[in-house]
Amino acid sequence: MTQSMNPFEPPAGGLSLYIHVPFCERKCPYCAFESKVPSVGERDLWLEMLSKELEWWEKRIGKPSLSTCYIGGGTPTVITGPQWVRLAEIIDSHFMFESDAEVTVEANPNSLKADHLLFWRDWRVSRVSIGVQSFDDAELIQLGRLHSAAQAYEAISASLASGFSVNSDLMFGLPGQTFRNWSRTLSQAVKSGIDHISLYQLTLEPGTLWESMPEQDLSDGYLPYRWAQWYMPRKGYNQYEIANFAKEGHESRHNINYWEEGEYLGVGPGASGFLKGWRYKNISGITEYSRSLDRGGSAIASGERLFGEKRVSEAAVLALRMSKGIDREDFSNKYGALEEKKIIEKLSRFPEDLYDISEKRISLSSKGMRVANRIWSELV
Amino acid sequence: MILDKFRNFSIIAHVNHGKSTLADRLLEETGTIEGRNMKAQLLDMLDLERERGITIKLVPVRMNYKANNGQEYVLNLIDTPGHVDFTYEVSRSLAACEGAVLVVDAAQGVEAQTVANSYLAIDLNLEIIPILNKIDLPSAQPDRVKKEIEDIIGINAADAVNVSAKTGEGISDLLERIVRDVPPPNGDPDAPLQALIFDSVYDNYKGVICYVRVVNGTLRAGKNIRFMSTGRDYELDEVGIFRPDMVKISELGPGEVGYLAASVKTIDEARVGDTVTESRRPAASPLPGYKKVKPVVFCGFYPVEREEINQLREALEKLQINDSALSFEPENSAALGFGFRCGFLGLLHMEIAKERLSREFGVDLVATAPNVVYQIVLINQSVIEAHKPSDFPDQVKIEEIREPYIKLTIFIPEQFVGAAMQLCQEKRGTYVGMDYITPERVRLTYDMPLAEFILDFHDRLKSCTKGYASLDYDHIGFRTADLVKVDLLLHDEPVDAFSFICHTDQAYHRGHAVVGKLKELIPRQLFEIPVQAAIGKKVIVRMNIKAVRKDVLAKCYGGDITRKRKLLEKQKEGKKRMKQVGRVSIPQEAFLAFMDVTKSEDK
Repeated sequence: MTQSMNPFEPPAGGLSLYIHVPFCERKCPYCAFESKVPSVGERDLWLEMLSKELEWWEKRIGKPSLSTCYIGGGTPTVITGPQWVRLAEIIDSHFMFESDAEVTVEANPNSLKADHLLFWRDWRVSRVSIGVQSFDDAELIQLGRLHSAAQAYEAISASLASGFSVNSDLMFGLPGQTFRNWSRTLSQAVKSGIDHISLYQLTLEPGTLWESMPEQDLSDGYLPYRWAQWYMPRKGYNQYEIANFAKEGHESRHNINYWEEGEYLGVGPGASGFLKGWRYKNISGITEYSRSLDRGGSAIASGERLFGEKRVSEAAVLALRMSKGIDREDFSNKYGALEEKKIIEKLSRFPEDLYDISEKRISLSSKGMRVANRIWSELV
Repeated sequence: MILDKFRNFSIIAHVNHGKSTLADRLLEETGTIEGRNMKAQLLDMLDLERERGITIKLVPVRMNYKANNGQEYVLNLIDTPGHVDFTYEVSRSLAACEGAVLVVDAAQGVEAQTVANSYLAIDLNLEIIPILNKIDLPSAQPDRVKKEIEDIIGINAADAVNVSAKTGEGISDLLERIVRDVPPPNGDPDAPLQALIFDSVYDNYKGVICYVRVVNGTLRAGKNIRFMSTGRDYELDEVGIFRPDMVKISELGPGEVGYLAASVKTIDEARVGDTVTESRRPAASPLPGYKKVKPVVFCGFYPVEREEINQLREALEKLQINDSALSFEPENSAALGFGFRCGFLGLLHMEIAKERLSREFGVDLVATAPNVVYQIVLINQSVIEAHKPSDFPDQVKIEEIREPYIKLTIFIPEQFVGAAMQLCQEKRGTYVGMDYITPERVRLTYDMPLAEFILDFHDRLKSCTKGYASLDYDHIGFRTADLVKVDLLLHDEPVDAFSFICHTDQAYHRGHAVVGKLKELIPRQLFEIPVQAAIGKKVIVRMNIKAVRKDVLAKCYGGDITRKRKLLEKQKEGKKRMKQVGRVSIPQEAFLAFMDVTKSEDK
């Protein structure tokens, strides 16, 4: 079977779409994502350019049907009601949606308004991911967030009441964060009724405010993470990926697609995509991005295609992020039995309680996930 | 030229008593070198020798001298190294001479090596001319020092020459004394050729150049010669003398000192101590040679870049030609890869070799901690030699371990006696004797394991005596000792590079220091690593390196994939530089730092 390597051809099956909203009300000191406070007219400019970018793609890949769509950022709730109408129009004019398509929108508690929820429900949004980060007011202030724990709680309730599946992002390893604070944040999240939790450790990313002037030493992430691994499943949230816990059936299909090396189209400034084995990244900065599209060019800044061992190891590392791990048969079919054997051979250098190898699957144990970076660095 | 016009002599001295400067003055005074071509310490040809102010290589030179009696003489000076490590080179020089100029610092007096080197000369039946150098110093006390020479060494110093090598004072007197007192060589120019090789160097064009002293017969260019130990014949390409650069001449007669080149390619073909004779008319017997010097200190040399192993081998081979006391054989370390186990005469010798390899041959290397050679008597009564800890057999097979001992002589001002004795005691020394050589100065004698001496004895003696001590030692053979091999186990696997030999009483103490250091140096890994020091099967120290628990758990969505992969690759790059022993990754620094612990652990 010869697979096409041309990214500019219509995709074979259902496609995932990522739309990047490069705006926030305020830049958080730890965040390295592409976003800025929008100047006057910039959001409308972004909408028009997005439309141009999608036209550019339509000429090449046609009007594919989407199995998932994720509108993230930045802060998509910075986009006003009328602008959302326009955004939905643009998307609908370039894509079809599968009947059970998962459509996620990211939201911040302080900018999530009732009209957002109303519009999203009427359009086709099924999932709302809320940037809660913490249920501790002091931590929220420290993180430079614009909302309180109470506001976060309200935003979750309202989203749930509107019938959405709801995720919260939570952070651990914050300066001065105690074990007690963290366990309280987790139990608050559980109480709020959400059905999905993404958690991640604070890191000092290059290009952030905190990287240039670190507040204080970050606390160790191991204990809070291990606590989450113990606590969440007992409350009905299973860990299906390194950083994600969900109630049965509420796993994010869009994200799973990333880890399973599915194809996705990424649009908007700084967005990334992966088509037919080719990874690309868009031009960063709304101005540069617009300039290229205005000239009739594409938004793509750079691309790369991995071959051989690099490609195999990337696939393995991504698959091992998930609890279910690598499907041995699929992996062998795709990359050869020899490569599968190599993965097993490399894993077996580690203590046995860090991984599981069964007849069908290769995966990391809970303990293995806690030190996953170390294990992966042996696999690449 | 007739034999009674030759004078062959050496200069012997304690280190820093002005031997090289004196040699310079002699060259100047005899016009061998014009003043304007003179650079300080001319005979110290290696940069290293000038920098450190010590002589390592012996260098012969021929001077013409018109004595006050109107006669022309040829003086052959064979310079000698002063440091105790190079005693063997001193004895080689002396064997080619009939006399020795004994230089004593008129301010400092007799020191340990003054005695040692004088005794070597007396033993070889040389005529000794004592001189007091640095007579220009305000602190010079020639009368006191003369008495010391008589009291300590036992030779007549009444008419010792007062000299200042710095100002030139007394140099002409000295030359006269050499002509008067050093006996001329005797030898038969018509007898079959016998020439002693007392040193050699390697020249890229001429091959091995042998430094020779002709005893009987005549060495002529173009003739065929034979090296008596191998029986191999060579055509003699060139003979010459040192002025001090090599100057070609047609022949060397008995009593003369010079060099020969015969397109000899390797050092094994022309061993120092061998006798050269004529192929056509060989001598009946060789001259008495030298004892082959046995290295006493061993350490591993490894190239910093593993690919440079061949450069290191070539460099060692070349260095060996210039330094016949150096020995080496390939070895393989789990930690450092391929390298060479090298044998030396002492620590300074080791250091010098290391530095010459990097300076003269451009090889960067890592040296492992030095150790001595051990004799091990097995249960079946056979005796084996261990040059490194991993040569040790299983504990149960060992009947007895013997380690090399030295007789250590220390000269110190009497106020430091207590401190020096305490140090010797700590270093497992056995008290032999103490005597006052003057009311203020004491000679202490101890028998001490060489292993303790090479560890850091010299440095510590210097610091506890404020630099006033001088020392000398003699190897006195092997003695039974209560020694054990301590193995270091990481995650239950012994790591060769970390094992060491020590006295039973110190095993716990040193084991503790090494285990503690390794615990610091080995990064946490994905599992707990027990670090153990063990004697045979018995674990004496154990510490654990806790499993890694600090790791950043980052999310990874569509836009993060490439960046994440690059981060992992970078992480892996870092790990590559570590050595895998079983499941444990050990950074190179751990091996390097280990060498420091073994040095400083008892401080």
